[in-house]
Amino acid sequence: MSSPNSAAIHAEGLIKHYDDVEAVRGVDLRVEAGEIFGFLGPNGAGKSTTVRMLTTLLTITAGRAEVAGVDVGREPDEARKRIGVALQEAGLDPRQTGRELLVLQGRLFGLTPAEATERAKALLELVELEDAADRLIKGYSGGMKRRLDLASALVHEPDVLFLDEPTTGLDPASRLTIWDEMRRINERGTTVFLTTQYLEEADQLCDRLAIIDGGVIVREGTPRDLKDELRERQGLDRDPTLDDVFLDATGRTRSRVAGDVQEVS
Amino acid sequence: MAQAWVLGQRALREAWRTPEALIPTLFIPLFFLVVNVGQAAKIFPGETTDFLHGQGYGAFQLPSSLLLAASFGTAALFLVEDIEGGYFDKLRAAPIARTSLVLGRLVAEVAKGVLIATLIVILAMIFGISIASGVLGFVLLVALTALWAAVYTGFMQLIALKTRSAAATNSGSLIFFPLLFLTPNFVPRDLLTRPMEIAATFNPVTYLMEALRSLILEDLNWAKIWPGFLVVAVTGAIMLAFNVRTIQRYD
Repeated sequence: MSSPNSAAIHAEGLIKHYDDVEAVRGVDLRVEAGEIFGFLGPNGAGKSTTVRMLTTLLTITAGRAEVAGVDVGREPDEARKRIGVALQEAGLDPRQTGRELLVLQGRLFGLTPAEATERAKALLELVELEDAADRLIKGYSGGMKRRLDLASALVHEPDVLFLDEPTTGLDPASRLTIWDEMRRINERGTTVFLTTQYLEEADQLCDRLAIIDGGVIVREGTPRDLKDELRERQGLDRDPTLDDVFLDATGRTRSRVAGDVQEVS
Repeated sequence: MAQAWVLGQRALREAWRTPEALIPTLFIPLFFLVVNVGQAAKIFPGETTDFLHGQGYGAFQLPSSLLLAASFGTAALFLVEDIEGGYFDKLRAAPIARTSLVLGRLVAEVAKGVLIATLIVILAMIFGISIASGVLGFVLLVALTALWAAVYTGFMQLIALKTRSAAATNSGSLIFFPLLFLTPNFVPRDLLTRPMEIAATFNPVTYLMEALRSLILEDLNWAKIWPGFLVVAVTGAIMLAFNVRTIQRYD
């Protein structure tokens, strides 16, 4: 492995098999500390599987990965102390209040009851949920749940924050709020690893990104570099969008355009 | 253990906020107690039936109701909800011992078991059943029921972790019925037919039932009490070992 010391995430030859299915087929990644790194790909490309391996939730079939300088396969508990995780479908307990959930999360990360209570208060303020703090989560809107999930991933001030499709299914206003939160969190020094299906989101937020398809990384670079590379390679006379880069990288074409909705096959 | 207790408190809050899941645990065992006594009490009158030790048939049936109450395992269904909703992954991503993830709900199950067993026994006492082994016997009766509730829920939790399916986990609770009916449920073991007696002898629930029954009908009879606690200890150790192994390999 080449000098992973300054990297927030460093993965080499990451492979995941489920019986006969090769979900991830040798992923190499390097994410520098302090970056917002986008991880894109079509459905079933291996995005979530990669995230789940990096966050210790899935065993690694082959290869290795370090997050915040810790080998996730060998020292999963040490890695867990340094990472925050907000997965697809905000994983929350609907029968707790927002405050209870954050206090519990703090306690599980080793805070005393007083520290956990204090931390929960600060986080509720950060994600602007103070007014709903003592309501049961089952009454929260989708956007509120996402913000609470984000807060719960930050309770221990992680070095690296993994966000798996944090804005999927949210209305535009809630999506913008989450974007603001992500920027704020990143400005405080947290590395953000973001998977998303929204290319505009990646374009707006990410310093660098990788596109995965069929379990392997097919493009990696800054959004600007990836667009420039495509324009030069295809001799385009216009500036390509990240959509164009994505379609080119994954070998998909626009099969139908209906108003603002573009479907790819 | 501190982390298990924190998770246990959360499971207790969950139970408190879902009374509709808790009420049947109290109601159905009482229903069976009333029905079974109604059907067989005339066959076994207290005054002339030796194995009742001077009490009514309700005292003989009370252990069945306690064991039934301990065998609902609703906590395992809440675990399936956690798995399906993604919260279980959130817990797995925390730097806590995998055993705490198993024990958290079981700690709560013991507390719930104590509450339910106490309520059932107090209701039974109001209707004339007495605990012949006294205050210590009462405590042991409640403790044994609550510990069995945790063990049984642990096995249900195992099904939940393996299948991640509410339907499969729910079916798991039905396993208890054959176990309950292959015991000296209506009469003592020596009055069962030979095949039933053999089946009951190999059924660990028999020793739980006989321990509970002795605490209700007799003065402290340790020869009958300790096998019940031994069953809980042995099955509990097996249950914990399988749960921890499953959760460590959980992908």
